[in-house]
Amino acid sequence: MRVLAFDTATARTAVALMDLEAGDNARPRAVLDLALVDDPAPGTRPGHARLLLELVHRLLERSGGGWDAVDRIAAGIGPGSFTGLRIGLATAKALSASSGVPLVGVSTLQALAVPAHGRGKATLAVIDARRGEAFVAGWTAVQDPLTDVPALAPQVLAPEQLAAAAAALGAACSVIGDGAVRFRDVFVRGGAQIPADESPLHRVSAREHCRIAGLQPAAPSTSIEPAYLRAADAEATRA
Amino acid sequence: MTGLILAIETSCDDTCAAVITGAGEIRSNVISSQQVHDRFGGVVPEIASRHHLALLSPVLDEALRAAGATLDQVELVAATRGPGLVTALVVGFSAGKGLAAARELPFAAVDHLHGHLAASFLRPAEFEPPFLALIASGGHTLLADVRDHGPQLRLLGQTLDDAAGEAFDKGARLLGLGYPGGAALERLAAGGDPRAFAFPAAERMPGLDFSFAGLKTALLYKVRELGEPEAERRRADLAASYQRAIVAALLIRVRRALKQTGARRLAVGGGVAANGPLRAALAELGVELEVPPPALCTDNAAMIASAARYSKALRFPAYLGLDVYATGAQRL
Ligand SMILES: Nc1ncnc2c1ncn2[C@@H]1O[C@H](COP(=O)(O)OP(=O)(O)OP(=O)(O)O)[C@@H](O)[C@H]1O
Repeated sequence: MRVLAFDTATARTAVALMDLEAGDNARPRAVLDLALVDDPAPGTRPGHARLLLELVHRLLERSGGGWDAVDRIAAGIGPGSFTGLRIGLATAKALSASSGVPLVGVSTLQALAVPAHGRGKATLAVIDARRGEAFVAGWTAVQDPLTDVPALAPQVLAPEQLAAAAAALGAACSVIGDGAVRFRDVFVRGGAQIPADESPLHRVSAREHCRIAGLQPAAPSTSIEPAYLRAADAEATRA
Repeated sequence: MTGLILAIETSCDDTCAAVITGAGEIRSNVISSQQVHDRFGGVVPEIASRHHLALLSPVLDEALRAAGATLDQVELVAATRGPGLVTALVVGFSAGKGLAAARELPFAAVDHLHGHLAASFLRPAEFEPPFLALIASGGHTLLADVRDHGPQLRLLGQTLDDAAGEAFDKGARLLGLGYPGGAALERLAAGGDPRAFAFPAAERMPGLDFSFAGLKTALLYKVRELGEPEAERRRADLAASYQRAIVAALLIRVRRALKQTGARRLAVGGGVAANGPLRAALAELGVELEVPPPALCTDNAAMIASAARYSKALRFPAYLGLDVYATGAQRL
């Protein structure tokens, strides 16, 4: 199965294309694995609107096939930047409607958790929600983020709630994502473990979206919505 | 062109999609107005943008269905690139690029103001340049010298502060009407005396630029001066006098522009063109007048499709890297 995936929930524009085969334990195995990312320079705005379709086009060219060879489109539904999510999902829905390729929505927190999980430890994925808050979702040590519904459902938390959320998932919980870097001190004081700031585990890669989508049935694209996790009214009443 | 043009417009709070023929005949023009901003007294970008994403797919489906068409018949996709609310624009613009890209169709990035001017080019009116254009909406108020169909805007004058529609909306708010308040204010004014109060129309301001900020302040002071019970009792008079000043402010500059350019023909666009007293006053100017039907005056995608006929369409993949713009005319 060929999956084309992208994620625009964080500052990074991430695009990937994978050909998946059924591997051991029904876990998909990639026989073709292509990915491109763009990280905006510090202090500059994300380039999703300009870059997303450019990167998709480049990957398709590299794959040597067109849309008719793609079996599924997977788009990150966040949580994350509201505008970033809308650019990603407006693009995904249009590509799906125009090409006829089914669309799958993938949680960006889940995609972050998949490569970080393992070695019998709980995992908390954290995305900077701005305004001093964080979007989180967590999996216990016995869970598998690739297939399991997170024990800690996606939600927005204040900094003072973060350490307790990680501790509740399990001892020495591994915490990843740009929110983990942002709130490192809070987590470390609470006994959680965080990879070095430069670790790729903190960054969203659309490759995990391909794997996750490969295991999910495609839904009608009208049912795919951004995981805003915060009411729009909150923006309206912001001083 | 024998095929159809599919256009998308999401620059403010209306989610719009339309299908026209290559000859400028409207096949469908779907507008989904978001009646959710009333309680905030203005458009909240985050709320508008969420609605755009939720409404766009059904609006696109409806535009194709009403046109009796499928994507297979579409030869050109167009979308508004700006000016407008960036968070709203990117929804429709991303979708437009995506629709075109998956089929390797050409794509036209349309300027919203070019769209308002191009509304007049559509059938059956086919009002052809040269003409003078007055665009008066919630976000814009301008006079343009339209010499051809193209995207280059020859601006003669524009508002230095509020737009005419904004002036209607702010006045309506002061008089306790909902948002947007232009139409409600017109209804209230119908039962009032337009000469009851003298509000300024910036008569002494020379040239072709507009200013409505002073007028809004004048209404505010008048309401305070009268005190609540009296202002309440004379709401219709206040509305009628306020409306009269906005119409006068527009008319003064239209007359000056007709004189300056020697134009004999006038096209009007923007939501304020729905205003009865304004239309009546324009009809008395003695020039050939084109006021498109309301659905083509307020924000809509048929006008964007019309402008696309006269814009440079980019071939796949040249448009993939285009972004939207909030202000100014960063044209191709
Ligand atoms: N009958 C009327 N009399 C006066 N003003 C009106 C009337 N009907 C609508 N309006 C005003 O027109 C404006 C809406 O028009 P339009 O949809 O063109 O504006 P907009 O959404 O702000 O678009 P743009 O982005 O083109 O500025 C509002 O300000 C509204 O109050």
